[in-house]
Amino acid sequence: MASTSPTIAGVGLADRPRASRVPARLDLLQSFTGGVLALFMWGHMFFVSTILVSKDFMWTVTRMFEGYFIFGKPYPGIVSVIVFGILVMFVAHAFLAVRKLPINFRQWQMYRGHMKVMKHEDTTLWWVQAITGFMLFFLVTVHLYQMLMHPGLIGPYESADRVWSGRWWPLYLVMLFAVELHGGIGLYRLAVKWGWFERGDADATRSALKKAKWALTVFFLALGLATLGAYMKIGYEHADRAGERYVPASVQQGAVK
Amino acid sequence: MKVVYTDVLVIGGGLAGLRLAIAAKRRGHDALILSLVPPKRSHSKAAQGGMQASLGNVIKGQGDNEDVHFEDTVRGSDWGADQEVVRMFVNTAPKAVRELAAWGVPWSRVRRGDRTVVINGQKVTITERDEAHGLVAQRDFGGTKKWRTCYVSDCTGHAMLQAVGDQAIAASIPVHERTEALALIHDGGRCYGAVVRDLVTGALSAYVAKATAITTGGAGRLYRVTTNAVICEGIGHAIALETGVAALGNMEAVQFHPTGIFPAGILVTEGCRGDGGLLKDADGHRFMPDYEPEKKELASRDVVSRRMEEHIAKGKGVKSRFGEHIWLDITLLGEHHIRHNLREVFEICHYFLGVDPVKEMIPVRPAQHYTMGGVRTKPTGESPTLKGLFSAGEAACWDMHGFNRLGGNSVAETVVAGMIVGEYVADFCDRSENDVSIPTGVVRGFLEREQAKLDRLVHGGGTEDAAAIRARMQEIMTAKVGIFRRGKDLEEAVDELQKLLVRSRSIGLRSRVPGPNPELVIAYRTQKMLKLALTVAYGALTRTESRGAHFREDHPRRNDVQWLKRTLATWKNETDTLPALDYEPLDVRRMELPPGWRGYGAKDYADHPDTAARQAEVDAIKEKHEDRFERQRALMPYAHLLPKRLQGRNERIDERFPPAEPNGTPESEFAWESE
Amino acid sequence: MTTTTIVKAPSTTPAPSATAARSGGVATGTKIRVHALRYNPQEPGSVPRMQTYELEQSEGMTLFIALNEIRETQDPTLQFDFVCRAGICGSCAMMVNGRPTLACRTLTRDVGPDITLAPLPVFELIGDLSVNTGKWMRGTSERLQAWLHGDAKARDINRLEERMEPELAEQLNELDRCVECGCCVASCGTARMRPDFVGAVGMAKIARFRLDPRDKRTDDDYYELVGTDDGVFGCMSLLACHDVCPKDLPLQTQIAFLRRKMAGKGWA
Repeated sequence: MASTSPTIAGVGLADRPRASRVPARLDLLQSFTGGVLALFMWGHMFFVSTILVSKDFMWTVTRMFEGYFIFGKPYPGIVSVIVFGILVMFVAHAFLAVRKLPINFRQWQMYRGHMKVMKHEDTTLWWVQAITGFMLFFLVTVHLYQMLMHPGLIGPYESADRVWSGRWWPLYLVMLFAVELHGGIGLYRLAVKWGWFERGDADATRSALKKAKWALTVFFLALGLATLGAYMKIGYEHADRAGERYVPASVQQGAVK
Repeated sequence: MKVVYTDVLVIGGGLAGLRLAIAAKRRGHDALILSLVPPKRSHSKAAQGGMQASLGNVIKGQGDNEDVHFEDTVRGSDWGADQEVVRMFVNTAPKAVRELAAWGVPWSRVRRGDRTVVINGQKVTITERDEAHGLVAQRDFGGTKKWRTCYVSDCTGHAMLQAVGDQAIAASIPVHERTEALALIHDGGRCYGAVVRDLVTGALSAYVAKATAITTGGAGRLYRVTTNAVICEGIGHAIALETGVAALGNMEAVQFHPTGIFPAGILVTEGCRGDGGLLKDADGHRFMPDYEPEKKELASRDVVSRRMEEHIAKGKGVKSRFGEHIWLDITLLGEHHIRHNLREVFEICHYFLGVDPVKEMIPVRPAQHYTMGGVRTKPTGESPTLKGLFSAGEAACWDMHGFNRLGGNSVAETVVAGMIVGEYVADFCDRSENDVSIPTGVVRGFLEREQAKLDRLVHGGGTEDAAAIRARMQEIMTAKVGIFRRGKDLEEAVDELQKLLVRSRSIGLRSRVPGPNPELVIAYRTQKMLKLALTVAYGALTRTESRGAHFREDHPRRNDVQWLKRTLATWKNETDTLPALDYEPLDVRRMELPPGWRGYGAKDYADHPDTAARQAEVDAIKEKHEDRFERQRALMPYAHLLPKRLQGRNERIDERFPPAEPNGTPESEFAWESE
Repeated sequence: MTTTTIVKAPSTTPAPSATAARSGGVATGTKIRVHALRYNPQEPGSVPRMQTYELEQSEGMTLFIALNEIRETQDPTLQFDFVCRAGICGSCAMMVNGRPTLACRTLTRDVGPDITLAPLPVFELIGDLSVNTGKWMRGTSERLQAWLHGDAKARDINRLEERMEPELAEQLNELDRCVECGCCVASCGTARMRPDFVGAVGMAKIARFRLDPRDKRTDDDYYELVGTDDGVFGCMSLLACHDVCPKDLPLQTQIAFLRRKMAGKGWA
């Protein structure tokens, strides 16, 4: 788009005679960032849930992300870089998505009334998405800041101590529900918004997508609750030694030698 | 006093009104449309099956042309039509289809090669020509020799209304929606516009125009059982009648459609039978071949409707808790055909009857469908008695349908009449002597008169109930002025309708709410409708013959000796209870197709004294001319009646034009003029 | 949270059977109650309120029949709009038990015995159940230039019409079936929050003309019309439009299609 004088833009004529291409880009970016974040969350959930397998496995996965198996020693800074990337995505997504939220009482009232009288699932789901999205502004920001600043404090004991002794578990519990609902609905909406997987019968596709969406949400909530439970349990049992770092038995033996 | 000025005031926003307004606007005249409802909700939309135009693209339409369409239409009219007008119509119909194609109507198209169709209850394979591939397709309809009905699945009227309505928006033609013309403003034999009520605020205002056109459609709601929309109350007819100057022609000619769903009366298209559907009785017997061995289910509508009622009277109707009906069986057409080409029918059966027409038969019985009569006009669309008043479409009687309209000729007429009359309206407005110079006092007089009538209804202390009076009128019309008419019934009907009219002058309202006040609307419309009902019933009583849809059991013959003439009704005084009837003879000596047997229905008529001589003359002329255009010109020249740009011939696969030259082509004369 | 399963009628819904014995149906002869929203903006001091009318369920009774009966026998002031009463003109859309639909083809036995009626939101209210959809639709058509931009003036109407593949004609008709009833707009959460939103009807119209080879406009032209946050990018894909459309238009597919095409213009 050609740059235009502030005076022309200031009186709302910047888009004449050719409509601005920015809304198209914003729409694509919103979908793109949302999609990436949602997929990241699924991956993230799988990584943290490795604790359900064993502490050692969780430790291995964590070290892997720190480059331990490539460089021979952990570089938590790598995690910081990833976290920073996600933070940028997150802020961008929030910035783009906030355009859709009700911005005054009238809009809020309209949508609420509409939703209550219509009793239409996708309409109600959007409300859930909007509310959870709003919650995530705060919850995720706190979490990401913590990870950005303390990337090294990830591990079976480190994380469990944070959850329990650091009293992060209430935040994680709320965030779990918010993230899984928001992301699941968001991915479903992306598919219907862009017409993915349609193959001739949009209604059948949508109904299948809706089923898949709910199944995945339930699965990830269950996995998330189990994982959070596991960290809480470990954290509770480890509370008197909080702050101690986890070292796998194999590595400990190696160290003794 | 609020007065709105415009060049052309179009009353009625259906296909005819929209197309007429577009024509006037393209010629540089401001047109303004008044419409009871948003134009795209007009009853034109209900035309399902299609629009006749002799394109001859499908193999079963091969050999079709204006001549065949002309003869079918005149026979269908039972020789009541103005044959010159029919000629104007059949020559313009193909142009209308092609214009609509260029405006975006998604006409169903011909696919080359074999396809299976149902003809006379049998599956038959027909082969469409390669050169027809992708051209507009035609289906079979009643009363036609060739497959001529162009269609868009079974929502033809809808598709046409979308396209024409869109073009009216593109032309920035203002539509004053939810307004109703209550009276025409006229003085000294000149029409100057209308007094108009706003149906949102209830306020009256005057619209003053050089030319006023009534394009308000039919008056089906005079009857209890009708396929017509609830807005088809004939108010356009009534305000013309109430001038005492303009005449209504042939109001007794009322068409009953064979297949209204029973008991609601909602239409299912003639395309059901055109595509191969059958009529069956209580025994599941296909009875139409017994009565009409040649055309069977596809005789003209008046004939099929009468045969159905006749069969029911013989005790062969299907009994149900609402009364008796006939079955329409389209199951033999197959699911694919019904879901694609008869989709609207499928929906109507599904929602209103709970019937799946793919598997089950549809209960039907004839229902009032079309008003052949209307505001009497010249071929230009202008009233011969009230200058500056025009009319087109179902509201008009110019008169191309005579006593029975063929299926597919009504939507065709709307756009064709809009094209033709629109040009004449523009010509009228072009002439400086037609400039309006009306004193505002005259306008105020009309406004005050109408306001006083409304005030009397609201505050006059009347005690009669409008809804009850209307219901009784509809009952009388359906029972006594229906498909089969008898002198005695008609006398009783006229008598009781007169009493109802008198009672209607003391209608009182129960409510006085501001705004449109639906009760007030019913009240003033009922008063107007009663005059129309009387015009229909009295015309039917007086016409002691049977012609087309007007069938008198006590006078079953068509009597050309006495009745080859058009009924003209006028309402002289507000206090009258009957219209004044006058008759306008049709001149056999100028007919291209002299009266004879229609080819279906009863072969029972008395010839006009001039018929034999004219027939001999026609035969001799036909002998003399090889070329069909020369022959036609020799029989009955009509081209001079058409606007210049509509005089051209129509190209067909079998009548190709020489290839168009890159510039200076001869036919460019007929292409759109620039705005 | 209430979950509602949406199935598109009439393709998959069971047909309303001719007998009243259907499960959940209201038997003929029993009482039904119509709770109608009453409000007359023309009347000073009028306040929106609900009014209840009781009447007897008759066989095959539609809301068209029921409302007319109420007006004729109980309350002559009740305002509502019907034209074709056959489900083809789109005049009578109203909120029936909270959902927008065509009243004329709604059988009371399917929605009763307690039927709540309200006017469509978003559109200008005329009175009671009557709203000015016509004005809104005309405005949308003008704003979106929703008419075929072809070469009609250059075409000679005496000559053979331009050819078109039969399949394409069918597809066009499929999109052309919109009756402008306003159900899609009334059901749209986005339109409720943002009155300038173009709505499914507007986008479906653009998709229809885009598909039509007779329309000479390009995607750049269409972008000018719907490439904004009030246009296709404002759509939040709530899909209520698709679920309530009385004509079963493929709105979900068409809006997605249009979004892909218009988004593609973002860097083009």
